[in-house]
Amino acid sequence: MVIEFHLDGRSGVAPYLQLIHQVRQALRLGLLREGDQLPKVKDVAAGLAINPNTVLKAYRELEYEGLAAARPGIGTFVTGTLAGASLAAHGPLRRDLQRWLAKARRAGLDDESIEALFISTFRSAAEEDIA
Amino acid sequence: MIWLTWRQFRAQAVTAIAALAAFAVLLAVTGPHLASLYGASGITGCHGGSCGQLASNFLSQLGTGIYPVVYVLGIAGIVLAPAVIGIFWGAPLIAREFEAGTFRLAWTQSVTRTRWLAVKLTLAGLVAMAVTEALSLIQSWWGAPIGQAARLATTSSFPLGMSPFSPLDFAAHGIVPLGYAAFAFTLGVTAGVLLRRAIPAMAITLAVFAAIQVAMPLGIRPHLFPPKNATAAISSFTSLPTQIGPDGTFAFSVDYLPSQPGAWILSSGAVNAAGQPVGTSPAACKSGALAGSPAWTPCLASHGIRIAVSYQPTRRYWPLQWTETAIYLVLALVLAGYCFRRLGRRVS
Amino acid sequence: MTAVLEAHGLGKRYRRLWALADCTLSIPAGHVVGLVGPNGAGKTTLLSLATGLLAPTTGTIEVLGGPPPASPAQLARVGFVAQDAPVYAGLPVTDHLRLGAHLNPGWDAELARDRIERLDLDPGQKAGKLSGGQRAQLALTLAIAKRPELLLLDEPVASLDPLARREFLQDLMESVAEQELSVVLSSHLVADLERVCDYLIVLVGSRVRVAGPVEELLATHHLLSGPRRDPDTLPAGQQVISASHTDRQSTLLVRTSDPVLDPAWTVSEVGLEDLVLAYMSQAAGRGRRNHHLEVQK
Repeated sequence: MVIEFHLDGRSGVAPYLQLIHQVRQALRLGLLREGDQLPKVKDVAAGLAINPNTVLKAYRELEYEGLAAARPGIGTFVTGTLAGASLAAHGPLRRDLQRWLAKARRAGLDDESIEALFISTFRSAAEEDIA
Repeated sequence: MIWLTWRQFRAQAVTAIAALAAFAVLLAVTGPHLASLYGASGITGCHGGSCGQLASNFLSQLGTGIYPVVYVLGIAGIVLAPAVIGIFWGAPLIAREFEAGTFRLAWTQSVTRTRWLAVKLTLAGLVAMAVTEALSLIQSWWGAPIGQAARLATTSSFPLGMSPFSPLDFAAHGIVPLGYAAFAFTLGVTAGVLLRRAIPAMAITLAVFAAIQVAMPLGIRPHLFPPKNATAAISSFTSLPTQIGPDGTFAFSVDYLPSQPGAWILSSGAVNAAGQPVGTSPAACKSGALAGSPAWTPCLASHGIRIAVSYQPTRRYWPLQWTETAIYLVLALVLAGYCFRRLGRRVS
Repeated sequence: MTAVLEAHGLGKRYRRLWALADCTLSIPAGHVVGLVGPNGAGKTTLLSLATGLLAPTTGTIEVLGGPPPASPAQLARVGFVAQDAPVYAGLPVTDHLRLGAHLNPGWDAELARDRIERLDLDPGQKAGKLSGGQRAQLALTLAIAKRPELLLLDEPVASLDPLARREFLQDLMESVAEQELSVVLSSHLVADLERVCDYLIVLVGSRVRVAGPVEELLATHHLLSGPRRDPDTLPAGQQVISASHTDRQSTLLVRTSDPVLDPAWTVSEVGLEDLVLAYMSQAAGRGRRNHHLEVQK
C-alpha cells in the first residue's frame, strides 16, 4: 500500500476532508504518483473504523478535482498530480528552511513564536499576492 | 431446527436413555428367575380352590427376596417419570431461553417462533411419551407373574400388584403413562412460558402435576363411567373389616365383591332390606354380648341387613385407560395450543 | 431509495409507563444509523419492535416493507444482536455456526469460518467461556453470515474495552463496505457512533427528538454566542434547542436551515456530541419544568 490514512478525531475537520487533505499532501510530496492505486474503500473503512460512505465521498471529491478516477470493479487510481516541476525545487527549499529555523532558534524564539511568525508572514504574503 | 432441538436436548435424552437402559438391565437380570419360580409354583395348571393357596405360597416365597423391592422401584419409576420429565424437560425449555436472554438469538434467525416451538414440543414430547411407556411395558412384562398370582391369592403380604385398579398400579400400567408424560411435559413448558424463570416454573409444574395426579384417582377416575351397584349377603365375605362405635353404631367396608372378582370397589357399606344405609345395630342385636361375638353378623343378616357395593367391573379397565389417556392428551394439546398463541404474539 | 424502517406513531406501553411514544421515522437504506440516547430512553424497545420480539401498543412499524416478524423470508433479511450479545453458554463456537447454518437459508458458511479464524476464536471453546468482546464478535458473526439487508445492533460496544470496541467497529465497517448493508446501532455514547454513522436518531425520554443524515444535522445546527438575549426573541425560522446565559452573555444552540445574518451573534459549528447533549438537556428541561408545575399545584 502506497499510502496509509490516519484521522485526528479532535481537529474539528470532517473526516472526509482529512482524507482528501492527506491524498493531496502525498501528491505534493511525490509519495503518490500517477497510476498508483488508492487504498480500497473497504480497507480504509475497516482500518480507521469509519463509514465507507465517508471514504467514497472523499474519493468522489478527488475525482471531481481531477486527481483520481474510479475504475469499476478494480479500484480508484491517481490520475492527476500536484507536484509538477516544483518537486525538483523541494530539496533546496527544504535546506533553506532548515537554515532559517536554526537561525530563529539561535535568536531565542520558542516553538510557538516561530509558528506565529511563520503564519503571520505567510498570510500577509498571500494577501499581497491577491492584491 | 431438528438439529438444534436435538443438540439442546441431547443431555436430557441421553440421561433418559441411560436410565431406561439401567432399568431394563435390572429387570432383565431378575426377570427370568421370577418366571421360572412362577412356573415351578404350579399356578399355571391349577384348578379351582387350590389356585388361591398356590398363589399365596408363591407370593410369600417372593416376599423374602429382592422382588418386592424391584417391583416397587419399577412402579415408583414409572409414576415419577412424568413428573421428572415435566420438571427437567418441560419447565426449562422456554424459561431458560428467557432467563439467559437467548430467545433474542433463537427467534431472530430465519425460523418463525411457531416452527421453533412446534419442532421442540414434538420431538421432546414424543421422546417423553416413548420413554415413559417403555418403562411401563418393561415393568409389565417383568411383573406379569406377580400380577396373575395376586388376582388368585387369598392372602398376601406383597406390597403392590393386588389389583390393576389400585391407584399406583393403574397409573403405572396400560397406556396412561403416555398421557401423563405428554401432559406433564406440556404443563412444564406452559409454566415456563408464564413464569419465564426455570426454578419457579419447575416448582409450579411439580405442585400442579402432583395435585392433578392425586385428584384423578380419588375424584375423577371413579366417575368416568357410571358406577354399578350390587348387594351381597354378609356371609359371602370371608373378610369383613368392621368398625364398632358406641351405642351399637357400626360400619362395614369391603375391598372385593364375591360375585365380581377383580372389580374395582368404589364404596361399600351396610344397607337394610329396603336398600337404605344402616349404621346402627337393630335392638335385638345390640346387646353387649352380641356386639363383637360371632353371632352378631348372622343376627344382622337375619334382620335383612346386607352389604351394598358401588363398583366398576373389570371389563371397564381398558375403557378407563383409554378415556383417561385421552383426557390427558387433550389437556396436553390445549396447553400446547396456549403456548403457541402466547409466543406468537409478544414477548420482550 | 426505499426505507429500511418506517414507523408511524409507534408506541409501546408497559403497564402505565410508555417506553416509546409517538415515534415516527423513515430510515433510508444504505446508511449506518446511530440511535443515541440515555439509558432507558427507549432504544432497546425500538429495536425489539423492529425485530418483532415486541408488538406495538399503538402505531405501526414496517421493516423492509412489512410488519415484523412477517415471515421466514423477512426474518432472513434482518440480522440482530441484542444487548450483551446473548449466546448459548453450553454450546461451543462451532455449534453456534451450525445453528446459523441450520436456521438460515442464506447462510454463508465460508464467510462465517473466515471471520472466526480471523478473530482467533477457538472453535471448540464453549461460548460461555468467551470474553465479552469475543461474545460480541461471535454474535456479530452469526448476524452477518446470514447475509441480511439490515443489521440491528443494540448497544454492541457498551461493555467492551477500547481495543475490542475498535476491532468490533472495524469489522462492522468492513462488512458494511463489502455487503452493502444498512445498519442501525444504538449507544448511549456519541463518541462510539461519530465515525461510523452517517444518519442519526436522538431518542430521549421515550421520544424521537431529531432524526436525519449527520451531514445535514451538522449543517443546520449552529452555536450562537453573543450579548444576553431572550431566546423567544429569535426569528421564527430559528429553533432554539438549548440556551445558557450569564449576566451579559447568551449561548444558544439553534436549528435552522437559513443562514444566521444577525451580526450580534458569533456563529460556530456544532459537534455531534454537543448536538446530542443539547437535545438531551432540552428533554430534561421540559421534564423539570413539568415537575416544577406539578409541585406548585
